[in-house]
Amino acid sequence: MPVSCRYYDVRRVTGEVTQVDVDNGRVEQAGTSFFDKAVIRVLGDKGWGVFSVSGEEAEFEKLPESFIKEAYSASLVTNIHIPIQETPSSIHPVPSMKENPADVSLEEKVSILLDMYKATEGPDIVSRRINYIEKDEKVTFSDCYGNSYNYGLCRCGFSVLLVASRAGIVQMGYERDHTISGLNIRHRQDLAREATERAGRLLDAKPAKGGILRAVLDPELAGVFAHEAVGHASEGDLVKEGSSILKGKIDEQIGSPLLTIVDDPSLPEFGFCPVDDEGTETKRTEIIQKGILKSYLHSRETLASVGFGDAGHCRGMPGVEPIVRMSNTFIENGDSSYDEIISECRSGILLKGSRGGQVDPGRGMFQFNAEFGYLIEDGECTTMVRDVSLSGEILQTLHTISLIGDDLALHPGYCGKGGQTVPVTDGSPHLLLDKAVVGGCDID
Amino acid sequence: MIDDIFRAAENVADEAEVFFARTEAISADLKQDKIAIGSKSSGSGIIIRIIKDGKIGVSCTDNPQTWKRCLDAACASAKFADPLTWKGLPEPADVDKRPLALDKRIKTDPYLVTDIISQLKAGSEAYKADITSGSASVAISSHTIANSNGLNYSTTGTQVHVSLEMIAGQSTGYESDTSWNLDQINPQETGEKASFFAAKGQGGEEIETKTYDVILSPMAVSQLLDAAVIPALSGRNVHTGRSVFAGKIGDYVAGEHISLVDDPMDPRGVANSAWDGEGMPVKKNPFIENGVLRSFAFDLRTAYRYDETPTASAVRTGQSGAPAIGNHNLILSGPEFDIFEDKALFVHDLIGAHTANPMSGDFSVELSSPFFAYDGELQEPVRTGMMSGNIFEILYKIQGCSKETRTLGSVIVPSVRLSDIAIIGRG
Repeated sequence: MPVSCRYYDVRRVTGEVTQVDVDNGRVEQAGTSFFDKAVIRVLGDKGWGVFSVSGEEAEFEKLPESFIKEAYSASLVTNIHIPIQETPSSIHPVPSMKENPADVSLEEKVSILLDMYKATEGPDIVSRRINYIEKDEKVTFSDCYGNSYNYGLCRCGFSVLLVASRAGIVQMGYERDHTISGLNIRHRQDLAREATERAGRLLDAKPAKGGILRAVLDPELAGVFAHEAVGHASEGDLVKEGSSILKGKIDEQIGSPLLTIVDDPSLPEFGFCPVDDEGTETKRTEIIQKGILKSYLHSRETLASVGFGDAGHCRGMPGVEPIVRMSNTFIENGDSSYDEIISECRSGILLKGSRGGQVDPGRGMFQFNAEFGYLIEDGECTTMVRDVSLSGEILQTLHTISLIGDDLALHPGYCGKGGQTVPVTDGSPHLLLDKAVVGGCDID
Repeated sequence: MIDDIFRAAENVADEAEVFFARTEAISADLKQDKIAIGSKSSGSGIIIRIIKDGKIGVSCTDNPQTWKRCLDAACASAKFADPLTWKGLPEPADVDKRPLALDKRIKTDPYLVTDIISQLKAGSEAYKADITSGSASVAISSHTIANSNGLNYSTTGTQVHVSLEMIAGQSTGYESDTSWNLDQINPQETGEKASFFAAKGQGGEEIETKTYDVILSPMAVSQLLDAAVIPALSGRNVHTGRSVFAGKIGDYVAGEHISLVDDPMDPRGVANSAWDGEGMPVKKNPFIENGVLRSFAFDLRTAYRYDETPTASAVRTGQSGAPAIGNHNLILSGPEFDIFEDKALFVHDLIGAHTANPMSGDFSVELSSPFFAYDGELQEPVRTGMMSGNIFEILYKIQGCSKETRTLGSVIVPSVRLSDIAIIGRG
């Protein structure tokens, strides 16, 4: 090993991005771009040195010695000794795709999307947009222990955005689906129609009334809840830095005994990692088991300094150093049926769909937004409502989960942290929260 | 290389444009109170756009050596694009070619970032709180935009950025600062503010659910503008049914003393340039003047598509690198007075502003670092609270603005005082 490195690794990602934008029936963009990025990390006498290059400079067969030297010289500003733990290293096979998007011409993709566009007609619809994105990546990884991996992974998907307007009221309907299992845009008119109908129906929905209520979360939104309220706070880097409310809480009962939350990067879903971005094998980690905090999500570094949990959760965007991230995060099935949950809620609100969320893991506060919902009155769903958010304190809210459904479903999406965006899946069955702070534009 | 591209494009396209960018950066990251990561990066990218029979094709690559493949991809992409009445890429103009955001003292020198980190840490000792993470970075970036009409502009700029996150008990404090100029960045003050919010945010009481007068920090104001107002000013959204401002030119859309103007040459800007992402000479664009909606933002494509006048509002962002509609220095202004004098609920940051409904403007978000403010200062901390409302209605609820402004990316905003804002408390 050159100079006085204790460790080094290199990850190069080469790929193509194809995008199609169908805006109100017009193809505004349809084309392909190219990227080639590499990141070299070394552990010097003290901390990390990171060197990122792209394009021509990333085009190497064997890692140039000079790049390790550059990364090492970057590490010279560090002033703390960082230990890392050697971890098991292996790779899961990438599942084969049903239909490789690369085998389908751009012309055909455009024509499929224009067909889907036809399904978005509806009364009061004033704007219709369909976007397609396909990112085909080839990843090469090697480290100073002699581990070395090559794999290709193609992620593709689409989104449909409809806007409905009537008498000065504007509402939107949005649906998306992203996958690693191949081209997913054929015969998806139903999803496009669903978004169209919802945009129209939201025009008649009532604004939600804010307050403290009983709330039922649908699988998509409950998945975001698992991600925002628990997932981020269990990330080993945040625990190490002292900015997680879950620090020091291993083996404590932090939530309802019904609750088990898992992050599993080895699951072949949209957040799939055949191997993590520092060469560690990926596997299922149970963060919370029956309400008890069991594991944090780790990198080689955070496992060494924090302990309790598994490495294999370290991910980075092409050309950027990897950090601790979630992948496929979900709440395990309980044994209540959907009907039981709604009827047990008696009076409250059912929240559906997600416009995303955010968390301050140090303070333990989270927020997320539902696309729409229904009031629950006398154990039955009644009036449709729009624009409902939910916020709360992690440690209080996890105890208020009183029923968990038996209808786990996963939803693909993207998660941002430290300026990096990575593909993830969130999922859950339906959940009943006994006491939720729901935000709406009206208050009493 | 740029000339080679134009020669090759001559045979296959009516017009061609090349945008070439190069960046070098260095940074240091704090984990707790020690520097744990040092980083260096260098990279370049090239974006080729061609126009053929009114159809626009674009492609980019971060390996300029492979420009031929990129040009082919741009031409292939034009095939599928819906044609428009293309009125030409800009001709060369008499623009100010001097760099407007270049501090020659800024080098990618490790001592520069470690010095900034030391100032940040010194500031953070003002109040008793612990650093969780922070960073200092400097970058030097240059770009060239050239087109087949002979336009060829180049410039170099610098960026310095600092940020710090701190915690005291369960109270967190976040602050950051960005500038092109070392004299305009104050890492010590950034450190001091982060420690203030963490330390002084402890021990807050819950508040009751009702309407309050609220003061939003520049950070909170810019988050709300980003979520719904800025998208609604995009000419493309106006013409495709995605803006509530469509058809409202000449109407009141904000309180009568509120203005929202894009002034690309305002000296407070962090990346001023005399031309936009398509090489068009920039100019002031008064979106909202004294409450009245006056104009929208257009790039060339959208202006030509909908027979509007281009406003030089193109920016280069996004994965494809294609020019898109944006703004340069969007400045919010209103009546200035001491907005911290009478009691109000001050909000430093918002959790979840991006989840607002971008079409209707409805939002409900959790508050970060809320305090009661009066007698000119932040006083008692508040534990939690959720703020709900409509971003477009907030434009009518602005009572006044602070004299001081902050530049946050391409937005320059004061703190604003709002009346009658619904807060859901847990008290």
